[in-house]
Amino acid sequence: MSEQNALILTEAEQALVAQLNESGAKQMASDLSETGLPTRRVEAYHYTDLRMLLREVPQSFSQENLETQTAHCSFKIADAFEIDFDNGQISLVENAPFGVFVADQDGSSLSERKDILCDLNRAFTKKSLLVRLEGKVANIVHIKRSISGDARHVNSALMLDIAAGAEMVVLETFEGNEAAHLGNHATRVNLGAGAKFTHIVIEANSKRARHFHTMEYAIGENVTLRNLVVNSGAELSRVQMFGRFEGEGTHADLSGLNLVDDGQHCDITMDMTHAAENTTAEEMFKSVVRNRAKAIFQGRIVVDAVAQKTDAKMMAQGLMLSEGAQILAKPELEIFADDVQCGHGCTCGELDEDALFYLMSRGIGRQEAGALLIRAFIQELLDPIENEDVNLALSKIVSDWLEEGSTS
Amino acid sequence: MSTPMLEIVNLHVRVEDKEILKGVNLSVPAGEVHAIMGRNGSGKSTLSYAIAGRDGYEITGGDIRLDGKSILDMEVDKRAAEGLFLAFQYPIEIPGVATMTFLKAAMNAQRKARGEDEMTIPEFMKAVQEAAKNLSIDKDMLKRALNVGFSGGEKKRAEMLQMTLLEPKMCILDETDSGLDIDALQVVSEGVNQLRAPNRSMLVITHYQRLLNHIVPDRVHVFSDGRIVESGGKELALELEAKGYANYEGAAGAV
Repeated sequence: MSEQNALILTEAEQALVAQLNESGAKQMASDLSETGLPTRRVEAYHYTDLRMLLREVPQSFSQENLETQTAHCSFKIADAFEIDFDNGQISLVENAPFGVFVADQDGSSLSERKDILCDLNRAFTKKSLLVRLEGKVANIVHIKRSISGDARHVNSALMLDIAAGAEMVVLETFEGNEAAHLGNHATRVNLGAGAKFTHIVIEANSKRARHFHTMEYAIGENVTLRNLVVNSGAELSRVQMFGRFEGEGTHADLSGLNLVDDGQHCDITMDMTHAAENTTAEEMFKSVVRNRAKAIFQGRIVVDAVAQKTDAKMMAQGLMLSEGAQILAKPELEIFADDVQCGHGCTCGELDEDALFYLMSRGIGRQEAGALLIRAFIQELLDPIENEDVNLALSKIVSDWLEEGSTS
Repeated sequence: MSTPMLEIVNLHVRVEDKEILKGVNLSVPAGEVHAIMGRNGSGKSTLSYAIAGRDGYEITGGDIRLDGKSILDMEVDKRAAEGLFLAFQYPIEIPGVATMTFLKAAMNAQRKARGEDEMTIPEFMKAVQEAAKNLSIDKDMLKRALNVGFSGGEKKRAEMLQMTLLEPKMCILDETDSGLDIDALQVVSEGVNQLRAPNRSMLVITHYQRLLNHIVPDRVHVFSDGRIVESGGKELALELEAKGYANYEGAAGAV
């Protein structure tokens, strides 16, 4: 204990402790001042050492400094039902389409999971946005979280309650102006029996932002779940995806993309537990890294003793485009049942020289040939997204990223 | 005599510190089809890659001129835009790149490099459909990813399709007969023969005489140990088929 007592808090930790005290979370403040933020010695944060990476914490967002600034949103999906969730402030919308109910609820939507980002989100979040979806909703529900004004520390929490048998697509976008914001967001998704749910999450913050997002899925029986997380904007980001298969007969396709450029550190961490028989999952995560930057994928599949007949396959693929690019991947399987099929694979490489030469020998310039190959690498993740507008929006993120690379 | 379409002068090429080409001299006049025959490992493929400008093929001496212009300082794509086309022995499979997307990118890139306007979509579609029909390429094949899951014959026909659409001045066909059955060989050869034109030359690289029954060359060159050791008319191919390459072993430098 003496070592912990002697811990000298970093500037970021001091600011967090002060903000926790201010918001009345005394216990959390005292815990944090004892332990500090997790370092590489904490297994789950081995590749994303928050103590080192989070250098400062901007002032906490409160009602007093609320400004009427237009929020930044570059994603416009035709016929989408949009819910603004700016600076963590819930604004209840009217005229929701049939089957969509919007309300607020006290506290964070997250479970009691022990994790620093969850702990902080629970400590700071006074109210969560609750969106309940019933039946077959044709319109996409687009929940836009953005941070505006001077650099801010914002926490927000969303509860998506997907009723049994419901069918819908939810798009979540995270953006902000150019300031060095810190966002620590949460999304909890409860999926009722037989729900068919597609969940697209786009992190498109500005380069100076720090972005943390924890997603929790509680998955009922016979659910079809597809998700895609695209992590591309912020200087530092960590998107956590926790899930529990709680009913039989469910299938999930989980996927993610780290699209990373100079100076960025992007982490996608997935941890799925199969806790019921007969569930299947395919997990596909890709990273493309350009210049001196780092992409991380940690994936764990846990199969409980009761979860016989689980079929889960996890794949991590990385593409390094420059000398200084780094990709770190850690796939793990923890299997306690004896009749399962689980597998994981991991590949990492550079652009294929043979393919580049072939394309160039047809007159396509090096830059364009490379872009074609990078796009082809990513395309596998975008192809299953059936909604045309969302697919186009995702495609545009990739094109813009490739474009940026060709001019730099 | 007018400028040759392809002129190779005393070309020396090194790959990973090993000298593979040891002074190749070759001149292919406009409109002619020349064949290069030689054993595996004699350096034939190295020659085709060196002409195309592949990384790792270090030119240590000599020159390669396309239509009178040295191409040694040009990148691979620039050489293609200048009118060079290499039909691959083993065309590369590229998952995720649609064949049509690739064709359009290649045609427009070359046009752009030559300062021409990009093709409109209807123009492009029409050109592809016409060329595909001539080569018995069905529409399903064009819908797939580039070369992915194509049979040996389909891959070679896809190469011929590209050659037709890109209208090169100088075509290099690297072991085009490998992986082809008789029927596919027929289709591919017909495709090549249709492209013979007064302002287009071809260099056919092969180690079997068989292909040269279908694509009849104007000249035949025998390749051994990194250089051309004998040149002659089309009858030289038949002679080689009968006697083998043994006569030319160690003959390098005797030309």
